[in-house]
Amino acid sequence: MSSRARVARVLGIDGVPILIAFVAVAVYFSLAVPSFFDADALRFYLNEEVPVFIITAGLAFVIIAGGIDLSVGAVLGLSAGTSLLASMNGFSTPLATLVGLGTGFAFGVINGFIIVKLRLNDFIVTLGSLNVAAGLLVVLTDHVQIVGTQDGSYLAIANTSVLGVTSAMLIAVATVAVLQLVLVKTILGRKVMATGLGQTPALIAGIDVGRVKYFAYILSGTLAGLGGVVLASRLNSVQPGLAGGYELAAIAAAVLGGVSLAGGRGGIWQAALGVLLLVTLKQGFRLMGVDPLVFSIITGLCILAGVILDRGVRRLALSLAAPAPAVTDNRELAPAMEAK
Amino acid sequence: MTTNDGLSRRSLLRTAGLIGVGVGASSLVACTAESGGTPAAGAASGAVGAPDAADLDKAIKAAVKGKEIKVGFTPPVLSENFTQIENAAWRKMYEYEQRFGCSWVWERQAPVGDFNAVQGTLGIVQAWVSRKFDAIAVCTGANFATVQSLYKNAASKGVKIYQFNQPAELYPEDQLQTVTNVGYDNRWQSGYLAGKYIADKLGGQGNILQIWGPSGSDWTRGRRIGFDKALTEHPGIKVVGEADGGYVRDKGFTAAQDLLTKNNKVNAIYGENEEMALGASQAIDTAGLKHWDGKEGILTVGADGLVSGYKQIRAGKLSATVDIGGVDQGQNLIEAIFATAVLGQAVTQIINNPTQVVDKSNVDWHQAYTEWALAAPKKYGA
Amino acid sequence: MSTASSRGWRTRALQDPAIGILVLLAVASTVIAFIEPTFATRGNVTNIINAMMTISFLAVGMTVVLIAGGLDLSVGSVMGLSAGVAANFLADGIPMPLAFLCALAVGTGLGLINGLLITKLGVPDFIATLAMLSLAGGALLYWTRGVPILGYMSEPYYYIGGLRRVVGPITIPMLLVVVIAVTVAIVLNLSKFGVKLYAVGSSSTGALHAGVRVDRIKIAAYAISGFMAAVAGIHLAGRTTTVPPSIGSGYEISAIAAAVIGGASLLGGKGRVVGALIGALTLTLTRNIINLTGVESSWQAVVIGLVLILAVLANQTWSDLARFVRPRPG
Repeated sequence: MSSRARVARVLGIDGVPILIAFVAVAVYFSLAVPSFFDADALRFYLNEEVPVFIITAGLAFVIIAGGIDLSVGAVLGLSAGTSLLASMNGFSTPLATLVGLGTGFAFGVINGFIIVKLRLNDFIVTLGSLNVAAGLLVVLTDHVQIVGTQDGSYLAIANTSVLGVTSAMLIAVATVAVLQLVLVKTILGRKVMATGLGQTPALIAGIDVGRVKYFAYILSGTLAGLGGVVLASRLNSVQPGLAGGYELAAIAAAVLGGVSLAGGRGGIWQAALGVLLLVTLKQGFRLMGVDPLVFSIITGLCILAGVILDRGVRRLALSLAAPAPAVTDNRELAPAMEAK
Repeated sequence: MTTNDGLSRRSLLRTAGLIGVGVGASSLVACTAESGGTPAAGAASGAVGAPDAADLDKAIKAAVKGKEIKVGFTPPVLSENFTQIENAAWRKMYEYEQRFGCSWVWERQAPVGDFNAVQGTLGIVQAWVSRKFDAIAVCTGANFATVQSLYKNAASKGVKIYQFNQPAELYPEDQLQTVTNVGYDNRWQSGYLAGKYIADKLGGQGNILQIWGPSGSDWTRGRRIGFDKALTEHPGIKVVGEADGGYVRDKGFTAAQDLLTKNNKVNAIYGENEEMALGASQAIDTAGLKHWDGKEGILTVGADGLVSGYKQIRAGKLSATVDIGGVDQGQNLIEAIFATAVLGQAVTQIINNPTQVVDKSNVDWHQAYTEWALAAPKKYGA
Repeated sequence: MSTASSRGWRTRALQDPAIGILVLLAVASTVIAFIEPTFATRGNVTNIINAMMTISFLAVGMTVVLIAGGLDLSVGSVMGLSAGVAANFLADGIPMPLAFLCALAVGTGLGLINGLLITKLGVPDFIATLAMLSLAGGALLYWTRGVPILGYMSEPYYYIGGLRRVVGPITIPMLLVVVIAVTVAIVLNLSKFGVKLYAVGSSSTGALHAGVRVDRIKIAAYAISGFMAAVAGIHLAGRTTTVPPSIGSGYEISAIAAAVIGGASLLGGKGRVVGALIGALTLTLTRNIINLTGVESSWQAVVIGLVLILAVLANQTWSDLARFVRPRPG
């Protein structure tokens, strides 16, 4: 194998461009910002983003299966509310956790049912359930004063320290690892990929596309529930609007990580890497004292740059691999929605 | 001697604060020079404008040793209200810089989004703690318990946390992990005042509409408690409709418009903040109804004390607003930071500032005072 | 007129997804009118129409993008930035026509950039317009330093904001919506561009093979959406008489919801101007009814979410039903 082909192969691996971007950003900040490696700050920022890691993993699953779930952020917030409320009212920690997971599960079932069985558009259905979940959290916090739980074991879910890492981070890592394994090592995972690549071929191949999609929505809902439990345990408080906008961060992260919104392409660890890149940017800018007003502009530019870079690198890999004029069909790499 | 003009006006207000707030007035405030506090506190309170202050300034300058103070200032959202508070703070910083030779590093960061973007505030505060700021001033809609644990961690690292404009009165004082809270009591110094003003103007009889901030906001909770008290004192005042105006003008406008459609006999509208009250005022115009003229029409009352609101009061479009003492808050925040983080003094946990209902009768000096603050001689940060 | 064509007309009307949602609205309105007598008053109807203007402008633009098979998440913040340009320029004493022209240029320009990013650089539409959402929103925040823009109102602007009436209950924005809706409808239905737009949205590969310059059509669609966002911004700045930096936040969701309720599909190739207006009406009615009937305001988001799903369900059920009752010829 020529060195050229080897480079092409490495570059062609999904997630490599994002990994390069991540390393470059991390190196830059560690040189430019003295407090970048402040252990407390690192722990704080990673902890803060654990719920985003968890929902990104679930959301990536849905996107790879060719769907979209905009409700994950709001469902996460609502699950945090129900779970914390349960713990406040004397539910044992396992039960309170179940309440949170159950809330997410229920939304996953409802989303899946309406999208798969009633054949309504996923974007709109999950936009609707986003509103419903966010609204229910407002109603909940409006009627019940959520003052936090006294149950130490509930608070321990996210806040136990294991060798300098928090249990919340371990939960995030475990979620990403398990989902990645399911995606690449199981038949189910292959069915998810096939479903995302094209529903008709998948149907012809004998895959119950509806069931696969249903499963993806339930998984994403339940993981939003898990994220909610972790968040409630860390904050020991819930307020309206909690986790609002997480879905956009998660989608941006997944796409940055090379997950295609058209479905059928990408992986869970790459999506998680996307979150890590966004977190690093956020932390770096904060520690540099960049005005959040500018911050929003920079983040927008970074997302664009990341996606364009990812595309460019893959083209480069293709052209390196095939010395003859590269077969870069525009359509194949092109925007998401039209292919669905 | 513009500086002196400002000082004497402030001393005047400070006295008003003493009378008006009573117990709420802090040790800082109580330590104004004439009451015989320590010289440093006297100077810090800004009441020293007399010719013999030169020696005192020199003494404090020696104690300050040209210290540089890094301050982080994070409001829950960027708005006219917080701009006024920030400018008032800058004015005081400039004054102390000139007199005591300290220098300030000022960083202002606000979470992007609405009042609920609380996670952003936590991240901003954590960054400043990591960067070892001397003082962090916070106003946030974040949950009480959450921020207190963050503050505790900050305190353990020697970073002092101050809250401003925060409804600290709603929580047990012994659980506050802050150095101090510079603000006002939303219940009795805002909600109650507005309710009482409306009841008095209407002669104790009438129908009112209420437009509140987003559900779950601590400010809303506090002001509602005060307003409700005024209502129980005046049983002739009936609330015939209420809505969520989300603290913004266009939602306040639409909500007021809908409520006015439903209730054709409305005597007054309370907007829990000024933006919503101004929206309600537009709804009155659009519906072709009459603004309050002192005898009849619809009374609109807000709360904040914005220059734009004062202009509307002059124009007869807004009947009254509660000036929540933004200028004093900004100035006293810096005073508290200087006293504690530079001179090492202690202050009380709650420093409440004077507030007042502003209508045509007293709008002139309130507006002049706020505009004086906005014309800060030096802008800090960025 | 032949029987065949009249039957075709009837079939089409029956299958028209807009009928489903109109039936739903009619039933809901009748019920509310009985419960709440002030609902059906002239004053309230005027309020509703005035309140739906902003979303209507956005929804028309969004519909064009959706027909082309795209998606524009940036309309809210582009609207906000355009409103900021108009207001700030007016406050600086720039003549009104020039200020408005600049606002329209900003909106259209940002729309163009969206289109170029998506077609020329191959950035997925969701991501490109999401990035534009932060860019335009951030730009307004940075420009205003977070402080609302004030002091730009003048007598003519009160008319543009719909706060003053021209004749009877009619306001300028109402007239403008009608003019724009008719123009866009004519373009969509009768022009070559309209045909190509639907073709691109139905299948861009197919359109490409048929010789349509897909990229150009898509860029135009995003530019139209940006232009409409600017129109909405100019109007909204007049209606609110102040421009807070957060003025546009969340409007993209309302615009998408309105367009989809009105029958546009996120899969592309479907959507109509009248549908966008019906969608805007649905959302505005919902909020009005919640306020009038005294439903606790905390339930608002829940109700809007349910209405959204129900409306799309009603659309679909109606067309399913119509197909079942009278199978489509051919």
